Amino acid sequence: MAMIEVNNLTKKFGDFYSVQNVELQIEKGEVFGFLGPNGAGKSTTIRHLMGFLQPTEGQCFIKGLDCRQSTAEIQKFVGYLPGEIAFIDKMTGQQFIKFIAQMRGLKDLSRAHELMQYFELNATGLIKKMSKGMKQKVGLICAFMHNPEIVILDEPTSGLDPLIQTKFIDFILAEKEKGTTIFMSSHMIEEIEKTCDRVAILNAGKIVATETIADLKKRKSKKFLIEFQSEQELSRFLGEQLKIEQIGPTQAIIKVQGNVQTLLHTLADYKINDLDIISQSLEDIFMHYYESGGKE
Amino acid sequence: MMNFTLLKHEMLATIKLFSIILAVLMLYIISIVYMYNPEMSNTLNKLTETMPELMSAFGMSNIGNSLIEFLSTYLYGFLLLVLPLVFIIMLANKLVIGYIDNGSMAYLIATPNTRFKIVFTQAFFLVASISVLLTATTLIAIIFSGILFPNELDLSAFLTLNIGLFFLHFAISGYCFLVSCSSKDLRTSYAYSTGIPILFYLIQALSNMGGSLEKLKYFTIYSLFTPEKLMTQDSSSFWMLGALFLIGLLCYMLAIRVFVTRDLYL
Repeated sequence: MAMIEVNNLTKKFGDFYSVQNVELQIEKGEVFGFLGPNGAGKSTTIRHLMGFLQPTEGQCFIKGLDCRQSTAEIQKFVGYLPGEIAFIDKMTGQQFIKFIAQMRGLKDLSRAHELMQYFELNATGLIKKMSKGMKQKVGLICAFMHNPEIVILDEPTSGLDPLIQTKFIDFILAEKEKGTTIFMSSHMIEEIEKTCDRVAILNAGKIVATETIADLKKRKSKKFLIEFQSEQELSRFLGEQLKIEQIGPTQAIIKVQGNVQTLLHTLADYKINDLDIISQSLEDIFMHYYESGGKE
Repeated sequence: MMNFTLLKHEMLATIKLFSIILAVLMLYIISIVYMYNPEMSNTLNKLTETMPELMSAFGMSNIGNSLIEFLSTYLYGFLLLVLPLVFIIMLANKLVIGYIDNGSMAYLIATPNTRFKIVFTQAFFLVASISVLLTATTLIAIIFSGILFPNELDLSAFLTLNIGLFFLHFAISGYCFLVSCSSKDLRTSYAYSTGIPILFYLIQALSNMGGSLEKLKYFTIYSLFTPEKLMTQDSSSFWMLGALFLIGLLCYMLAIRVFVTRDLYL
């Protein structure tokens, strides 16, 4: 049985489709990424899973329970991080965490303390005065402190500094080890790539692709920005059998799909000043799907 | 039915507002009881004679000679209608739409509590706060009247009057709670939950001026609260109480239903 199942989900606001015919099947122990630009309908889909919204058409199930009918039952084994960071401002971080634990009927706060230590959160201050990243950590602790079987995270790393982002990725991998099913939305391909088994790409309310990360990686090409020591070096280089695009008198971008070995071998013969890797943005991946007609 | 953690949280979060409202009311109640003086009411009667319309607009038309009539004129025409209303509006908006508007409702309903349980807790807290507030004001009035003018206050009439006041506020709070549960944001909710009761109060003030304006009394909920009839325990005052109770109950039931089924963009 799929842990999370979304069948033909459609939500209409007036004449506008926020999501249309979304289909998802997430198996136990899977880490599933949900990619898409802002306003694609990621949060809307997640709100349906949480039972916040009534679908115009279709249903969502978590462990076979209808997300709209059995919301409270589902919340016993689900952890959730909202996309919008909002708390009860007049509380300190610790008070809030304790409050939510009590609302859950959770007595054992050892996991919460463990997580606070792991994410280096000092939650003694008022939430109102916390930075965005600290608030995000409070949210993460609330999502994980009851050792949930399934976790739904809406843009978990927004606001976190790079160091903590890396820690977060390790943390997700550890949770995956434990067998937790994780569904996370993001618009950052890197974090999805490092943690997820499969991804669904959402655009304008429709799923344009559901793929395994391995497949997505194959399709992802790398770009290298190379600065040569002189113009002669570059013009000599232009003769090589590579996808080269000259962008300046001494600079060129080389696009490589798959193996970078050939490029490195070739480059060994040239005098270069600098080499930069241009990471592919989500838009580039989207372009691929637009080019192929948005259907797969 | 209820979540006691949430209830406790709301209690702590409301204590400040509650104390301020209660302190202001206490100040007024004590000074008005203190002002009571059979001779002085003659002066006030003269004042009423000089500008009858204005005084009657605030429900101060016939100042009787007994303490209870004095209190009902000065407290139950304006102060005990408006100050608890301020408390109700602020609390009703905070309890539901406040959490929805700032997004923290997401955390509350992402716990294993049904929406019904959450909203029922909030409704219960609102009604309980109002009854505690009005019980406190009633006790303060009784105690200070007892100290300053022993045996002057007609207790059973005074209690009926306050029960009537509670039912009035129960009905209004039901309306405010319904607005809070069904609005799309905090501003809209504040606009409706403040605007309509104030409009009702103004209509009431106009109809109190008498003449052709008196017919306006059919268009305001405040007509269902009649201190003169409650004090004499007139039978018509009881069906009015029943009507207020029914309005309140329907509003609360509808509010809970709306909250349980509505879409939440959290």
